[in-house]
Amino acid sequence: MPKVVVTGLGLVTAIGSNVEESWGAMLNAQDGTTEITSFDTSRYKVHRACELKGLNSNNNRGTKNRHTVYDCLSAATKEALQDSGILDYRGLERNKIGISVGTLAGELSAFEHRLRDHPDSKASGFSMDVVLSYPPMTLSTQLAEDFQIEGPNVILINACSSGNHAMCWAFDMLQDQKVSAMIVGGSDVVPQTEFTHFHNLKALAPEKCQPFDKNRQGLVVGAGAGVLILETLEHAKKRGANIYAEIKGYGLSSDGFHMTAPHPKGEGAIRAMEIALDNSELSYKDINYISAHGTGTPLNDKMETLALKAVFKERVQDTPCSSVKSMIGHTMGAASAIESVVCCLSIRTGRIPPTINYETKDPECDLDCVPNEARSKEVKFALNNSFAFGGNNASIVFGRV
Amino acid sequence: MKRRIAITGIGIISPLGFGHEEFWRNLTRGVSGIAPITSLDVSDYPCKLAAEVRGLNPSDYLGDKGLKYLTKGTKFLASATKLALEDAGLTQNDHNLEHAGIVIGSALGNYPQTTDYTYDILKYGPEKLLPMDSYDVALNSSINFVSVFLKLTGPSRTVSSGFTSSTDAIGDAFSLIQKNKADLLITGGVEQISLDSYLIFLMQKLLAGSQDSTPEISVPFDRRRNGFILSEGSYVFTLEDMESARRRGARVYAEITGHGLTYMGAKKFNTEQKIDRVRTAMEQALAQAGQSKDSLGLICANGNSSRLTDLVEAKAINALLGDRAKEVPVSSIKSQSGECYGASGAMQTASCLLAMDKSTIPPIMGYEVPDPECNLNLVLQEKRSQDIRVAMVSSLDYSGNCTCLILEKRDM
Repeated sequence: MPKVVVTGLGLVTAIGSNVEESWGAMLNAQDGTTEITSFDTSRYKVHRACELKGLNSNNNRGTKNRHTVYDCLSAATKEALQDSGILDYRGLERNKIGISVGTLAGELSAFEHRLRDHPDSKASGFSMDVVLSYPPMTLSTQLAEDFQIEGPNVILINACSSGNHAMCWAFDMLQDQKVSAMIVGGSDVVPQTEFTHFHNLKALAPEKCQPFDKNRQGLVVGAGAGVLILETLEHAKKRGANIYAEIKGYGLSSDGFHMTAPHPKGEGAIRAMEIALDNSELSYKDINYISAHGTGTPLNDKMETLALKAVFKERVQDTPCSSVKSMIGHTMGAASAIESVVCCLSIRTGRIPPTINYETKDPECDLDCVPNEARSKEVKFALNNSFAFGGNNASIVFGRV
Repeated sequence: MKRRIAITGIGIISPLGFGHEEFWRNLTRGVSGIAPITSLDVSDYPCKLAAEVRGLNPSDYLGDKGLKYLTKGTKFLASATKLALEDAGLTQNDHNLEHAGIVIGSALGNYPQTTDYTYDILKYGPEKLLPMDSYDVALNSSINFVSVFLKLTGPSRTVSSGFTSSTDAIGDAFSLIQKNKADLLITGGVEQISLDSYLIFLMQKLLAGSQDSTPEISVPFDRRRNGFILSEGSYVFTLEDMESARRRGARVYAEITGHGLTYMGAKKFNTEQKIDRVRTAMEQALAQAGQSKDSLGLICANGNSSRLTDLVEAKAINALLGDRAKEVPVSSIKSQSGECYGASGAMQTASCLLAMDKSTIPPIMGYEVPDPECNLNLVLQEKRSQDIRVAMVSSLDYSGNCTCLILEKRDM
């Protein structure tokens, strides 16, 4: 089976509109949480989210201050493609580059804006721009169009583990040699619909996201995108590409337990991590950094700690495990794609981003969550966890090349 | 050695009936599922026909508990899944299902109910809505429901790639089992007719009769074709590692041996380039199966009565087969079933498996005017008896992928 490597990275987050800014802000422990401006929150108990600040929106889907999922995705894709230099490769076959993108809601936010302006359009008809952005697949076909990519093209919809699912799908396509490179990512903004869904489930924190803290109150919804360029090692070497990391393997599982609550003992999470390690032919002892799912909800963090203890046994306190969601919010379908970028950067730079807003130890979450300050540490292997609503789990192992 | 993948169960909720027996009986008798739309008010719009699922009583399959919180699509998918498991000889608490997963394709998923929920938020205010109001309103929540309902612990995902969604999902399930990521996967597709989906296709002028005042017909490869007629339903299969299927004495409908996919949607592609992409996907699928065009005994075509995609597909088949185009029968069931968009590939796969199983090819109904540009060995008006060992399912999106599967029947 061919090896699969990462050769380009792109990020859009609430704390930066590219990799350099976002990563710098993460290492500086910056909090991206602000008052929500894209819709009126006066009828809610929570008014904060990690919305985007600096992104220039210049395609016809978005209007001012209304970033679309596609805006984020295309900005991160542009950066990742440039970073990889793949489009400059003379031997490039555009029909051998595929696209897989994860999203939770697609362009739901754009639809909401339309509905606020024209409430009757739900029943009596849509404008053409809504029609053309309604099917989630238009995200990836538009990307193919704009960047002239001609390989197979899919959207993976798996709530908050969508990004990792897109990575796994791409990994399989590359291992099967159906393509030689893949643009992989996740993208979401903050739709009022999803905000309401989380709000009414009482899953939202009123002020800030505090993963693994005793007083954590829930998640903060975030907007953003993460994109990675994956290639077979052979393809990357042939064109002399700069390699960030290798994808060693992945594990998928379901809780089969509840539509919104995680399995209390983390059985699904344990299975995803163990399969990922097994698939990578690694032991838990080899992992130097864990990018936690760490949403900051009371249930998730407790469950994830139990699962990590089951998998990492005596090493659990010695393996740093942080959640960038404390800084950029829970970007849903984009989260695990962004965290994949974080894993690659930690391998590349030997720096581990912190879990911020950490104030009070929780005996039920007694992990080394890299509290409040970034840390320097050599990272040979990193594990990226994502455990979505509906019990949809995907863990990926990245390794240094 | 690579694992071999068997299809051991078929579950169908369709406009042509529930369960594969009723579906097949109607299909081979020339019964049509297409009729005036009743679930939507389309009096203001030109297209009046659709193939709707009628008379489904989900509690027959799912019990009575909690049904009111489920969307139409979830009811379709969960019911079809129950039928597939039963057909595969698996009970709900079967130990073989313990590590099973679910991979389903859907172009729109529960998007219509998600936007209904959005509408309610804006109209009534968020404080008026209860947590259960959004129980099943995520794009992928149908799959989550089935995974929770059956307590599945294996991989679960929703693939959304337009009209090839379910074909891509089946190809994905095939690849996951081959790579030891699961031993048993539930796979297939689901779509539901809603005003949203109707308007999306109407406004893009993809529906039959939406471009001009020509009659609304669904006759694949006929020169009069002018668009597709919308359909809905769910088509679900159990895919298993061949060894474990044999060990438990399961019936094997066929083996999946090849999966090819290419992208044909680029706006700059001319018809010739699209044809080339479709042919490439077909060749990839055959090559992975270790087969050639010479062994193909049936093509279950995408043929959905669209002007361009039917032409592209017909020419690609000719390019692939050369002289054999005269011999290899081509079937499309969409004259009776309509176009089930994201679930179409799974629908075609169902008809393909049943055709292989019964050694009978279902016909295209209502075909009158041959199109010299779509010169194929079409099975018309009457079902045809034929033994089929190797068959291909081809699936085309009007602006995305082309995905093909190879199915093989082996003597056990």
